[in-house]
Amino acid sequence: MKNKIRIFRAMHDLTQEHLADAIGVNRQTILAIEKERYVPSLDLAFKISRYFGVNIEEVFIFEENVPTFASK
Amino acid sequence: MKKNTFYIVFGCIALALLAIFWYSIELHTPLFIEIAFIVGIILVFLAKRNVSDFISDERDVKITEQATIRTMQVFWVIFCAFSILAVMEILRVPTFPRPEFPGRVPDILPPRMMGYIQLGLLCFMVFLYVGFRIYYAKKYGDFETDEE
Repeated sequence: MKNKIRIFRAMHDLTQEHLADAIGVNRQTILAIEKERYVPSLDLAFKISRYFGVNIEEVFIFEENVPTFASK
Repeated sequence: MKKNTFYIVFGCIALALLAIFWYSIELHTPLFIEIAFIVGIILVFLAKRNVSDFISDERDVKITEQATIRTMQVFWVIFCAFSILAVMEILRVPTFPRPEFPGRVPDILPPRMMGYIQLGLLCFMVFLYVGFRIYYAKKYGDFETDEE
């Protein structure tokens, strides 16, 4: 799952360490999410987006095509 | 307690256990090391709870979880495969008469050796776990570096 954490960090002038401390995870976890090596849980994804004061979909991009209810 | 202090405490407990293990062998009293081992593990657990700068987040939990599951999946197959052989040896099943071995069929493995091999397999499980842990840590970006 793609994300814009790096961009939001740059906008708020935050280091990975600061962000990690703020939401209670390791710096390595932030790095792994940024590099798309690890997909965070919904809980953590909400924490990150709430920290930046935006909606979850502004930070995380779900690219997979899933059939919608309307398309049936 | 800081993380580094915890590692020092952990090292001291490990050294103490090694000394007790040695002493236990000298005295021929296995109960001594068994009690010491349990007490040692409890002490490590209590010390770990008091570490203030030790963050275990969901990624760590996932790495541990995946490594544990894979270790068990691989280990039980190896262990059961060997144990089936051991049980067949002990129970002598099947006991079909073989023309080349009249009478008693010779042991493939003596019972004592089976015990040693099972102990070895248990030690192998630790290495298996460490290997899987390194693999999953790498998979979930533990060894990634960047400019920061």
